[in-house]
Amino acid sequence: MNRRQLLQSFSGVAATTILTPELAQAAAQLSRGAASGINWQIAFADLDADLPRAPMKRIHGRAPEGLAGSLYRNGPGKFHRPGGSVDHWFDGDGLMRAFRVSDGAATLEARFIDTPKRRVETAANAVVQPGFGTAGKPGAQVRNSDDVNPGNISVMSMGGELWALWEAGSPIAMEPKDLSTKGFKTLREDLAHVPYLAHPRRDPGGDVWSLGLSGAQALVWRVSADGALKSADMVALPVASYVHDFTATSRHLIVILQPWVQDRMVLPYADSLTWRPELGTKVLVLDKDDLTKRRIYELPPFFAFHFGSAWEETDGTLRFDGCLTEDARFATTNGKAFMKGTYVPEPASILTLVTLQPDGRATLQPTGVTAEFPRVDGLRSGQTRRYTIHATATAPNVPLFHGVATYDWKTGKSDTYDFGANHLMEEAVFVARPGGSDELDGWLLAPSVNIKTKATELHVFDARRVAAGPLCTWRSEHVLPVSLHGVFVKA
Amino acid sequence: MKTLPLVLSLIVGMAALTPAVRAAETSSLTVTFSGIKATTGAILFTVVNSEAAYGDKAPASAQGMLPVSTNSASKVFSGLAPGRYAIKAFHDVNGDGKMNANPFGIPTEPFAFSNNAVGNMGPAKWADASFEVKAGDNIHAITID
Repeated sequence: MNRRQLLQSFSGVAATTILTPELAQAAAQLSRGAASGINWQIAFADLDADLPRAPMKRIHGRAPEGLAGSLYRNGPGKFHRPGGSVDHWFDGDGLMRAFRVSDGAATLEARFIDTPKRRVETAANAVVQPGFGTAGKPGAQVRNSDDVNPGNISVMSMGGELWALWEAGSPIAMEPKDLSTKGFKTLREDLAHVPYLAHPRRDPGGDVWSLGLSGAQALVWRVSADGALKSADMVALPVASYVHDFTATSRHLIVILQPWVQDRMVLPYADSLTWRPELGTKVLVLDKDDLTKRRIYELPPFFAFHFGSAWEETDGTLRFDGCLTEDARFATTNGKAFMKGTYVPEPASILTLVTLQPDGRATLQPTGVTAEFPRVDGLRSGQTRRYTIHATATAPNVPLFHGVATYDWKTGKSDTYDFGANHLMEEAVFVARPGGSDELDGWLLAPSVNIKTKATELHVFDARRVAAGPLCTWRSEHVLPVSLHGVFVKA
Repeated sequence: MKTLPLVLSLIVGMAALTPAVRAAETSSLTVTFSGIKATTGAILFTVVNSEAAYGDKAPASAQGMLPVSTNSASKVFSGLAPGRYAIKAFHDVNGDGKMNANPFGIPTEPFAFSNNAVGNMGPAKWADASFEVKAGDNIHAITID
């Protein structure tokens, strides 16, 4: 008799007397998907070859009228090779997906980004290039940061191209029509190979800001909507923190310097970082019009990969949200564990409001809501807003998230839909209804990996009625590894 | 991978050169560069005949500066002693005489080594980049882009 049967028999025979709180908790864990129950590992399995465009099957509802365009999504898609594999989820080959929706139908295709790293490793039949959490192996060929660039974190639409983004190398230009790779984007010859973060911030005016980090230095990129470089200026950081994301208002850049600090130079890169909570978290605020104008705020130590767009109030107060954890253990532990097919349960990241006050004080206000992959209605980027869109709902012994939600900062209420532990939910992207301009007047598009059916699905929600469930769901015949970040480009 | 510990600007450092021409049993070496993308500036390179010289601890055997106007260029060296040699090259695209780097110290101009050997965050190893120059005529082709 295994543990599950034992628990089931207990609860069936004499639940009231035998089912102690501890057992009840264990039983709940089992029923929601304990270690053996859910084969979540398929969401981290290799895709061996490009997936040609193929129709998805509509399995629920109907596509809303007016929804037309392509959802491009990026994320690591191949991890293993016969002669050696990556040690960390973040080091897999970048795989660009395109979910294309028109006339009520959807297709899915996926194509690996053609990088020098992928070429070297295909030839070697082994993962040899060093990475975020993977050591280099004999045969590594590294002339510059782009030789190890898998382009695997996110994607943006720029000047008619897709730019696949990593965080420690150049953007990689791709053709939206067929996802073919055009090559590295050198924004200015003397800035070749300077890192470009995967989470740029778009001004209401159309300019796009990003950062390139090296130790305690950052290059501030400002690129116009057509993809041309407007400026590139160096700024000194107060501490050499790991920076994955930053945020911005219409007037300020806000760089969150958490106490995961580079204090040596070794590979893989993550081994150069030390968790130093005694340093606290520093927040550097820069004036977009004059980067020499700066202010630094102090907060308690926390870790976050992702922040929401920031806004300013009339008295100069700055606010933004983030998905905060106590420390960097996801990056140091589970990023590696996933590649071994294991998951070390850890506390979920919590949606937290950060307030930077004009008097120099800064505060954290946790909502208690489990959240990751925060997004906003893009029209509100850098502006006052009411809602955050995010992934939510965790289950014991199953990694990542199982639902999607919006959080209302005015009422403190969540509008949530939970698919249950058999779906690994991906980041939801907001798509405005044609002609719509009110906040959340549109749809949320979010894929999930359906563990039971071993299929990638695409769900469409009414952004104002998430709890009502998907308006429409399409299912692919294939399962792709879970992706990280995406962008919707209207038809 | 935010910062690669590269100090690659040192890789192709042009050491002071002493022509090492010997009288007896000589070789000629034709060095060709192909795959050039930017057809401006010049390819600067050194030819060395020992691991010490490869590491800039001894004089180079020869040096070259090849103006670039098409996607390939070549130069002939004569009077070399037969033996093992290696070549370090960079394409000075903007013609400023230096191997340019971005603000974080990563080279922004193409560089290459003989045998098209590629290093791992540093120069290619002598063992990978060195090749045999025999008595008589020799050709060595390098791709640089």
